[in-house]
Amino acid sequence: MDDIEIKRESEKQHKPGQKRFYLFLFWSFITVVCCLTIFCMFLKAESIKEIAVSFYNFKSYPDSLSNSDSVKLTSIEKSLNRRVSSLQKRIENLSPYGIYLIVNTTNNTFVLRNRKNIIREGICSTGSYILLDAGEGRQWMFKTPKGQFRILGKIVDPIWIKPDWAFVEESLPIPPRGHPDRLEYGTLGDYALTLGQGYLIHGTLYQRFLGLPVTHGCIRLGDEDLKVVYKSLEIGSRVYIF
Amino acid sequence: MSHNISKRSIFAGAAIIFAIALISFALFGLLPVRRDFKAISASLMAQKSPDKQTITKEREEMIEKIISLKHNEALLKSALDLSKGDSISLLINIKDSIATLSFKGVTLFNSKISYIYLSKGLKKLPLSVRDSLLSAPLEVKEELASIEKYPVVIKKAPKDTTEANIESAPILPVQNDVFVLFSFENRVILEINQKEKRLAGSKAAWRAYKREYRDWFLRKNLLSLKNPDSRSYNYRIEIQLAREDARSIYRALPLKPNVVIALPRFVD
Repeated sequence: MDDIEIKRESEKQHKPGQKRFYLFLFWSFITVVCCLTIFCMFLKAESIKEIAVSFYNFKSYPDSLSNSDSVKLTSIEKSLNRRVSSLQKRIENLSPYGIYLIVNTTNNTFVLRNRKNIIREGICSTGSYILLDAGEGRQWMFKTPKGQFRILGKIVDPIWIKPDWAFVEESLPIPPRGHPDRLEYGTLGDYALTLGQGYLIHGTLYQRFLGLPVTHGCIRLGDEDLKVVYKSLEIGSRVYIF
Repeated sequence: MSHNISKRSIFAGAAIIFAIALISFALFGLLPVRRDFKAISASLMAQKSPDKQTITKEREEMIEKIISLKHNEALLKSALDLSKGDSISLLINIKDSIATLSFKGVTLFNSKISYIYLSKGLKKLPLSVRDSLLSAPLEVKEELASIEKYPVVIKKAPKDTTEANIESAPILPVQNDVFVLFSFENRVILEINQKEKRLAGSKAAWRAYKREYRDWFLRKNLLSLKNPDSRSYNYRIEIQLAREDARSIYRALPLKPNVVIALPRFVD
């Protein structure tokens, strides 16, 4: 009997301590939830701002034009219409009159077109973006330049004059300039169009790589596409590369 | 545990959490938006004009038409100005759902926009404010992208002819998924994302971009908390294009490109 009473007494003594512990746990939990709420709200601030926008509206303010009478408004409208159509014409006139070529170096595609129609479109190959490192500071970047170019020359049965990097790639000794070893026949296809700074639009022996960025900077076309491009573009025609 | 905690404590805890959520909402949401709306309203009020009720319906329509023409004129002027520059620019035509790359006034590339998202704040802006915000070419101030601008692959020259003669497949750059964010001076943000939900590249690259994206907004929000007078509401425009189109557009644009965004008169 005495034993039981002693047990109850000790339980009574333990309870307030236990209660305090649970209360501490509870308020710690509330504090953590509060901190998490603030953190999440901060993380999601952009979404919260979007919700907040729903609570605001702008008053409708009339435009300063409201001061003008109908006659003045009509004249403003007419003058604006004139200016807009003149601007539209000026923009239209910026496109070349003749046939021009557009080359997409990311997708490796081309479009041959005039102002109104597409004449031919298809795949091509452009610069690989390979940086060839031969050591001793000798490096070559194989990328197709971007921007507006003009056809500077047209060649039938072009001969490739191999630059230094072509020998470095094959680990061969570099011959002097003008050396016959630098000349390679048939590699560039039936036609070539020069763009300047050594860049050409030409054919290829590697037809299976068309559509992939595998060249040393030149633009390679398939045989039939090259023929159409060669025949359509004149010296001075524009080429846009992006 | 529930026997040890009184109902009063539970209610007090819930009330505190609710209060904290409300305060956070006000601090991170309501206040920045209010600051923005207040500043715009003040600028609008500064323009003196007669009472709205005195304008007839016919005149109101005429004014609307003139504002629209003025905006169109401003956009055309922007396109013309950009044509004088020496770099490729981007025109986002939300009305016709087309993204266009142009160089010296010549359209180089068109891509169909398959999805458009405009932030609510942008939709709510009065036409005159929206027009002034977007009619001029916007120069990109900061950008984030999940792909490199120049996909350079480094290749060591072969040591001998044997190594050079080994036939190998061409080295192609890694094609990651395309997510791009352009931020402009006037708090306009343009996101160009691929429409394909299925990732073509690595998940790690996508996660890295998402992390960078989240950190960028966090940094912006932290800065605005430090400077309570600054306006921090971003006018966000998101467009989705085919993956390869988005890649072409991003890689064609120069560093710090110019962008013209044409919105329709009414957006919903």
